[in-house]
This record gives sequence, structure tokens and C-alpha cells, in this order.
Amino acid sequence: MSRTETPAGPTQVLPAPVRPPKRTHSPAERKLRRSGWLMVLPALLHIGLWTAIPVVATFALGFTDYNVFSPPRWIGLDNYVEIVQDPVFRKATWNTIQYTFWTVPVSMFIALVIAVALNQGLRLQKWYRTAFFLPQVTATVAIAMVWLWIFNPQQGLLNAFLGVFGIPGQAWLADPDWALWSVILVGAWQGIGIKMLIYIAALQNVDESLYEAASVDGASTVRKFFAITVPMLKPATFFVLVISIINAFQVFDQIYVLTDGGPANATTMMTYEVYRSAFEEFRMGMASAQSVVLFFFLLFMTLVGRRATREDS
Amino acid sequence: MIMKSLTRRRVAVTAALSTLALGLAACSSGSSDDASAPLEGEVSGDITLLTPIFEGTAGQKLLEDELLPKFYEEYPDVTVSVDYTTYGNLNEKLTTAAVSGAVPDVMMMGVGWIEGFAERGLLADLSDLGLTEDELLKSYTPAIVDAGTWDGGVYAVPIMLDTRFGVARMDLLKEAGYDAPPQTWDELVEMAQALTVRDDKGTLERTGFDIMSLDSRQAFETMLFSADGDLFDDDDTAPAFNGPEGTSALQLMTDLVNEYKVEDIGFSSTDEAVNPLLNGRAAMGIAHNNLWTQGLEADPEMLDNLEPFIIQGDGQGMFFGGTLATRSATSKNPEAAQALLEFLASPDAALAANEQRGNVPALTELLDSDYVQGNRFVQFAMENLDVAKREGGPAEWLEVRGDFAPAVESALLGQKEPQDALDDLAGLVQTAIDR
Repeated sequence: MSRTETPAGPTQVLPAPVRPPKRTHSPAERKLRRSGWLMVLPALLHIGLWTAIPVVATFALGFTDYNVFSPPRWIGLDNYVEIVQDPVFRKATWNTIQYTFWTVPVSMFIALVIAVALNQGLRLQKWYRTAFFLPQVTATVAIAMVWLWIFNPQQGLLNAFLGVFGIPGQAWLADPDWALWSVILVGAWQGIGIKMLIYIAALQNVDESLYEAASVDGASTVRKFFAITVPMLKPATFFVLVISIINAFQVFDQIYVLTDGGPANATTMMTYEVYRSAFEEFRMGMASAQSVVLFFFLLFMTLVGRRATREDS
Repeated sequence: MIMKSLTRRRVAVTAALSTLALGLAACSSGSSDDASAPLEGEVSGDITLLTPIFEGTAGQKLLEDELLPKFYEEYPDVTVSVDYTTYGNLNEKLTTAAVSGAVPDVMMMGVGWIEGFAERGLLADLSDLGLTEDELLKSYTPAIVDAGTWDGGVYAVPIMLDTRFGVARMDLLKEAGYDAPPQTWDELVEMAQALTVRDDKGTLERTGFDIMSLDSRQAFETMLFSADGDLFDDDDTAPAFNGPEGTSALQLMTDLVNEYKVEDIGFSSTDEAVNPLLNGRAAMGIAHNNLWTQGLEADPEMLDNLEPFIIQGDGQGMFFGGTLATRSATSKNPEAAQALLEFLASPDAALAANEQRGNVPALTELLDSDYVQGNRFVQFAMENLDVAKREGGPAEWLEVRGDFAPAVESALLGQKEPQDALDDLAGLVQTAIDR
């Protein structure tokens, strides 16, 4: 590698840097800029009012004791100290990590396989796509109610199905050993639809000539999948990973309907504890602090996901 | 026969309505020199009602087509906007209402809720407009009136009660050689074991005593009361549920599951479509009074087999919650709000609301109504209200009540010893009280 040597000699007096002349905009450009600002103004106002201010308020309220009915009282880091010492929130954090760990990769893998299969021009392709996407557009509460019935230990479909093979049924949602797995199953199943849709869209942008060239070289289907499909889907995978992690960390509805966080906090999640603090215990300051912790968890996970998917790029 | 019943009912309702009307008139006259006392005809304004009862098509129809038109006859210058919700969402509604400053003029809420909202200044003292504790004591039992008072003020008027007590399937008891429900804990354990049925593989087919169909907190409270225990000390400043009574109550529940194998975890739940007492999957259990109404819809003939009983240990185990009407402290039309509150608590309206939900009227005089006399569980509950205890106590009750279920479940699941589970819970509760 070459290095530029600075020649020795008397110190040279460099001329003062010349500032480029300030660019003046023509009236037409100014009008265009004004129009641009006017067009984004509604979105800016919306984001400012409904996102930026609440986010700032959440960070601020996290340092207060605020019960809605009386003014917030500054308590410094007390909420955060309590969060660290609270075994239930620790349990909720661990449950959320487990939930994310299992639902995200599992549903991503299944979604990818389904997307590839549906991209092959199967018969009834549209019907299958609709069927797989249906859980995504159905209200989680409705889905959870259906799963509640499926998991019913006495009349549930799952135990009846297992009974056919002589496998004893379980109290899926009441047994702490099974409750979290049951919730994970529902989460993974529900998340397949949107991931599949993104993968299908991405697959349709993969250049067919790559597959043709690989075929000429004698590559097998599996080889083509791992050598062409997977690498070409990397941007989509990153996007799916990020939104899946965010969605998984925000799981709430199905916990609310299926288990109420039980049994004995076996399925409580960070979002559920935020809800409990805010609306059951009226501790908005604590709920805000828990939300901040959740935010940093999400940020960390997103950065990890970003690093992981960019490593080979 | 039907005519006779209708006539009798009409007479009873008319008499009850007249009594409350006289009572309320007395309330008003009692504070006649108070210029703000509600006066019929002069009361006006637009008010909002937030209610977790009257939900669903039948409830809305009752409120909007039957009850409110009667209210408007009396108060033509008042307009009521109704905001329906459920008990599950009531907290959220109240919290967001308080934050936004749009607190409903009249709010229905549960037993145990009043203390917290009254202390936080959300509720108005109803005695300001003439509804005093002494007046209420003429129409309700002291324990029910107590549920609506806080720090010497009257903040709520009871409308309906939800009670929990023991229920036995007498047909199954008789098959097993018993002719009456258990009178003691020992009898309860013995009978529950004898009535439990498992198949050859050990799978539970019928529980001898069902404690899973009920919220864990309420099941524990019922057993705690049957042990003669209390949730809190006399001045509601410290938990008392982790004393010997509470520990023995939770120990009994734990033993029923883990030692006596009377019920398995997951055998039933609060989400169960049909209560196991109704379909024979339970021989005895703790049940809500509206089990009668459920039975009436599912299998009326089976109702003859259901026998309510008080669970008896060292005390008498009967729990009551309920719904009370309150007025916002910030209402711009307090007279109109109080008029609606008093109307909803009046015998006619309260009876209709209770009948629609299969609940227990809070007004003592409604014991003689046809509805109560025709519903054995409601009648049983009303006849035993003097031994019933309620949940709540300190202003922080709403903050901590959600912690009870995980604590009870941790004991039932064998994760903690009953004493440890209750002590840990008591620590959380004490922290909240001291906060």
C-alpha cells in the first residue's frame, strides 16, 4: 500500500479556504420547496403529535410516580431500580425473549418454505396464499378465541387429535410447562402470513436467469435454494426479521385472551406488565419506565439483527 | 296463575318503588335547605353514563328502551349518553377518562373500586346532594353500604351483587350416600374425595369439588372467609390474608388438588363454556349466583339437583362483589347525574338490571320480589348476606388485586408453599399500601 509523503521544507502558507458562494434558490425552486414542506406537514404533525410527544413524555414519566389522578412526582431512577428488582418483570422479560426466540426464526423459516412453494406456480396458488395470509388479517382476539377452544383440555381439537395416536392430552394453557409453548405456537402460526407475503414479493424480483445458469451447471434444487434464493432474499430477510422482532416483543392480545399472563405468571410478557402497571395498578410512571426498557430491548435486538444480516454483504 | 303472579309482582314492585321514592324524598327533604339538592323538573343537562352492566343486546335494550324512557318521563330536560364497557375494560376507560378530563358524570364500578377512586378525588360525595349513610342503611345491609363509603363519605349506591358460595349436585351426592352438603371442612374433603371419579388411566372425569371454574382470587377469598379470615386488618393498613386462617385456606385448596387429587390443574377454567356443575363434571364447587340463570337456559330440569350451601370452616364462606353507581366529582350537571344514579338504584330499575344478569339485588326489600323468590340461588344469597364478606378495603386494592391470582396459582401448582406464596403477596400488598 502506498503512502503519500509530505515533502520536508519550509512551512507553506496555505491560502484561506474559499467558501463556495451561498446558493440562491430561484423563485420556482423556493415554491417547490414550500410545496414539499406543505405536503409533508400533515405527516409531520401526525408524527409529532402522536409519536414524538408521547415518546418524549414516556421517557420523562419514567422518572416519576404518576397515578393519573394526581400530578407526576419526580422520583429519579426509583422505577428502574424496582424494575430490576421485580421478579415478575424479570420473568416477563425472559418470557418475551423466549417467545421472540422461538416465534421469529420458526415462522420465518416456515414462511420462506411456503413462499418458495407458492412461487412455483402450484394449482390453487391464490387460494393457498389467501389461506396462509388469513390469520394476519384476522383480529388476534378472534384467533385467540379459536385457539382457546383448540387448547381446551376436555373438548379441544388438539387433545382429540393427539388422542387418535394414543398420546395423552395436556392442560395446554393451565400447565406452566406447556402454557408458554402454546402461546408460542399461536404466535408462530399467526406470523407466517405477512412474512410469506413479503418473501413472495421478494422472490418475484429474483432474476430467473440465475436459476437457469445454475441449472445449466447442474445445480440441484436444494443447492439453488441455498446458493441463489436465500442470498437474493437477504434484504427481505432483514426486513422480515426486524418487523418480526418488533411484533414479537409487542405481543399482547393473545396473552390477554389466552392466559391473562398465567398460570402463575408463566406467560406474562413485557407488554402485558406495562398494561398491568398502567391500567390495573394505575402506575403510569412505572408503565412508562417499563416501556423505556422495552424500547431499548427492541433497539438492541434490531441492531443485532441488522449486524447479523449485513455481515456477509 | 300467571295473572296472579304478575299482579303480585306488580304490587311488590310498586310497593318497593314507593318505599324508595319516599326514602329519596326524605333524603331530599333532609337537606331541603341545600339549594343544590335535586328537584324534579328543575334538573337538566347532558350527562354521560359509563356502565359495565347493561352490556350486550339484551342489556342495551333494557336500558335504552325500558329504563331510560322512564327516567326521561321524570326528568325531561336531562339527556343521557351511554358508554357501554365491560369490567375487563373499565379500568382503561376510567384511566383514559381521568387523563383526558372527560370523566363520565355517572360511573358504575365494582365493590372494592370505590375506595381507590374516592381517595383520588374522582368521585363525588353523594351526601352533598342528600344521600346519606343513614338513609342507605334503611334499605341495604351494613356490609353493602360499607362497600360504597370511604373516609366517612358516601361515594356509591349499590345496584347489584355478585355472590360466590358452595353449590352441590344433590343427585350425585345422593348416589354416593350423602343427603346434605358438607357442614365442615373435614366433611368437604371426605365428600369431595368420595365424589371424585377417575377412569382406569387415572384421567379425571368428575371433580368432587371444583375450584378451577372461578377466578383464583375469588376462590381463595371464599375459602379465606370460610376460615374466618379477613383480607386486611381492621383499619385496612396491613394485609391479614397471610395469617393462620389464610394459610389454612390456601393449604386446603392446595391439598384438594395435590394431595386429595380432587381436581386436576386445567380440568376446568373461567373460560369454560358450561360450568362443570351443570354438566355433571363436578359434584360440588364454588359457584357464582348466576349459575342458576345458566342452568335455566341450559337444562331447567336439572336445577332441582343444585343445592347452594355456605362453605363452613371456622367461619362462613360467602363472598360478595357487585356493581355500584357513582357520580363524578367534576360533573357539570351534578343534580342530573345524581338523579340518574338514584333512578338506576331505585327498586324498579335495579330489579330489572339484576333480573337481566341473574344477579342479587342489593336492596333488602327486593327479597320479596317474584324474581328473587323464583331464583333459588339469588334468594339464598340474599338470605345469607349477613354472613357474606366483600373484597377490597384499602384504597390500593385495585393496584394489588391482580397479584392475588398468580400467588394462589403458584401454591396450587406446587411452586411455592401456601405460607410463602401468601407472605410474598403480603409483601407486595404492604409495599403498595405504604407507597
